[in-house]
Amino acid sequence: MEKQVIIAIGREFGSGGHAIAEQIAKDMGLKLYDRNILEEIAEEKSTKTEVLEKYDEKPRNYILTRRVRGYSNSMEENLAEMQFEYLKKKADTGESFVIVGRCAETILHGREGLITIFVIGDREAKIKRIEKKYELSRSEAISKMNRHDKHRKMYHNKYSKYKWGDSRNYDLCINSSRLGVEGTAKALEVYIKDRIAYSLSQID
Amino acid sequence: MTVAQILALIIFVAMFALIVSDRIEREYVSLGCGVLTLIFVFGVCMHSMDAVMKTLNLRSIFTQEFWYAAGAEEESAMGINWSTIIFIAGMMIMVEGMAKAGFFRWLCMRLAKMVHYKPIPLFLTFMIMSAFLAMFIDSITVILFLAAVTVELARLLKLDPIPMIISEIFCANLGGSATMCGDPPNIIIGTSLRYSFGDFLSNTGVMAGISLILVILYFFLVYRKELLLEEAKAVNPETFPEPSEAIKSKKDFIISCIIFLCAVVMLVTHEQTGLTVAFIGTVIALITLVAAGRNALELIKKIDYRTLLFFIGLFIVVGGLEQTGILEQIAVFIGKVSGGNLKLMVAIIIWVSAVASAFVDNIPFAATMIPVIKSLAVAQGVELSTLAWALSMGTDIGGSATPIGASANVVGTSVAAKSGYPISWGKYCRSAVPATIIVIIVSMLCIFVRYC
Repeated sequence: MEKQVIIAIGREFGSGGHAIAEQIAKDMGLKLYDRNILEEIAEEKSTKTEVLEKYDEKPRNYILTRRVRGYSNSMEENLAEMQFEYLKKKADTGESFVIVGRCAETILHGREGLITIFVIGDREAKIKRIEKKYELSRSEAISKMNRHDKHRKMYHNKYSKYKWGDSRNYDLCINSSRLGVEGTAKALEVYIKDRIAYSLSQID
Repeated sequence: MTVAQILALIIFVAMFALIVSDRIEREYVSLGCGVLTLIFVFGVCMHSMDAVMKTLNLRSIFTQEFWYAAGAEEESAMGINWSTIIFIAGMMIMVEGMAKAGFFRWLCMRLAKMVHYKPIPLFLTFMIMSAFLAMFIDSITVILFLAAVTVELARLLKLDPIPMIISEIFCANLGGSATMCGDPPNIIIGTSLRYSFGDFLSNTGVMAGISLILVILYFFLVYRKELLLEEAKAVNPETFPEPSEAIKSKKDFIISCIIFLCAVVMLVTHEQTGLTVAFIGTVIALITLVAAGRNALELIKKIDYRTLLFFIGLFIVVGGLEQTGILEQIAVFIGKVSGGNLKLMVAIIIWVSAVASAFVDNIPFAATMIPVIKSLAVAQGVELSTLAWALSMGTDIGGSATPIGASANVVGTSVAAKSGYPISWGKYCRSAVPATIIVIIVSMLCIFVRYC
């Protein structure tokens, strides 16, 4: 049986981190997990994906929700827990995959074969990318980027002892603006392959 | 205002703000604020060891009246209300024993089977069962099991469980308001002001009973479209789990039923027998532990110590307000605003309690308001019980209005969320706020007609 490899990719909004993850998954023949996890969770819970989508990777609202005896009525928090469970189960099966976001580097921390990456980008490059991808004006793109990054940061920091994007929490942090999406993906693939080879050499 | 008063008020407001923000566990908040009250308010500002002792109230536990109070005073209103804490701890142990034996799941499944899993009868039965169970058992446990079974049945029946869960939560809070042991604010009011189970049942119980009929009708009308549509879809009941499957051990199940019945009998008759709620809680806990045998330790471990610690800290902080005379000033203010008019006093207490409890934890609110209504009754020469019933209904029912108002709401909406059925504020409040307003108006009118 092939050795398990789990590539956890965190990303700034607009950095192209998701596209990079897609490229790596495609090139290496791995399954990509992102929002699609919600589809499987929704099926398991007999509910609709759209119902869950708006709570994905969002922080808990501390004023409008409460916790009693370990029960939280924040859907954001409950959905995060469901996704963490899902990821742990997937990892337990021995499957190799690429996972985007969802605090995977923290949730799967300590697992053999886990490679953690954080993708950042130059502010201007990110704004341009968002403008193009979502057909937004500059101000709208900035506002969207700030909002998403704020949510991701709050969401991540709730479940991880390291701050979102803190280099100590990842094996590799990379700026996608230097090589572009494709170039960054290629560079990362080289690193991933080297990591796999190194890990195999340690066994031999 | 004296320095001690200002400090007590600052600590109290900080405690409330920290509880609402929910960033630190509430027991740490209340205990931390309690320690600050003891050190700075009583120690540094008041130099009063007497205030510390009165607030800690440990001596009361070693008096006969604490355990047996035939014709005597049951509990001092000052400081930590140990009766409430011991009673709640005892009931927690009993409820854990019942849950372990499979009692709640069995009851839910049994009733569902009795109504042949038909959506409308199921909807109505679960509302009534929720209200009835919450009269004797804490509403968190009631909702925990009821909501879980509701989701399970809804999946099998292909129904939307949200209308059922919202109405069950509301009825649990309503049922809790009917008795002295149903809802924490009532336990605190009852033990602090020396009211019996019977007093609650014949006063708030009547209001809750009338309201329950209206609320059942209201929720049915609100959700009738969904219910009628679901009723049309027939499902083969053969596929449902058998109620008996819920019972993990027949012996434990029978024992837990007997203990529960004993608790109900002791509570209903405690005015006649003179047994205090602290005594009942202790006896029930001991019987449950003895019956559990080797599993006793497991039950003790399951006690929600955090809630009990939260109560202790809370009583100390409120004791700070009480000892420094702040609450008397609030009472004077309410007296002035109402101009000595009892109806106006009742209206202020019930509506302010309801609105406040909809957004902040109703337990600290009730604990704070008890000394206020006590002072108000003395200063204005009005019947204390009238104000107590207004406070009880206001805090118990007001908490039903929003998903964060009462513990049962949080647990019920949490069970729904964990099962993939998020209940937004809008969805919750659309049906719960009008129901809350109906019950508060009914309760206020009942108090006006009966006591004013």
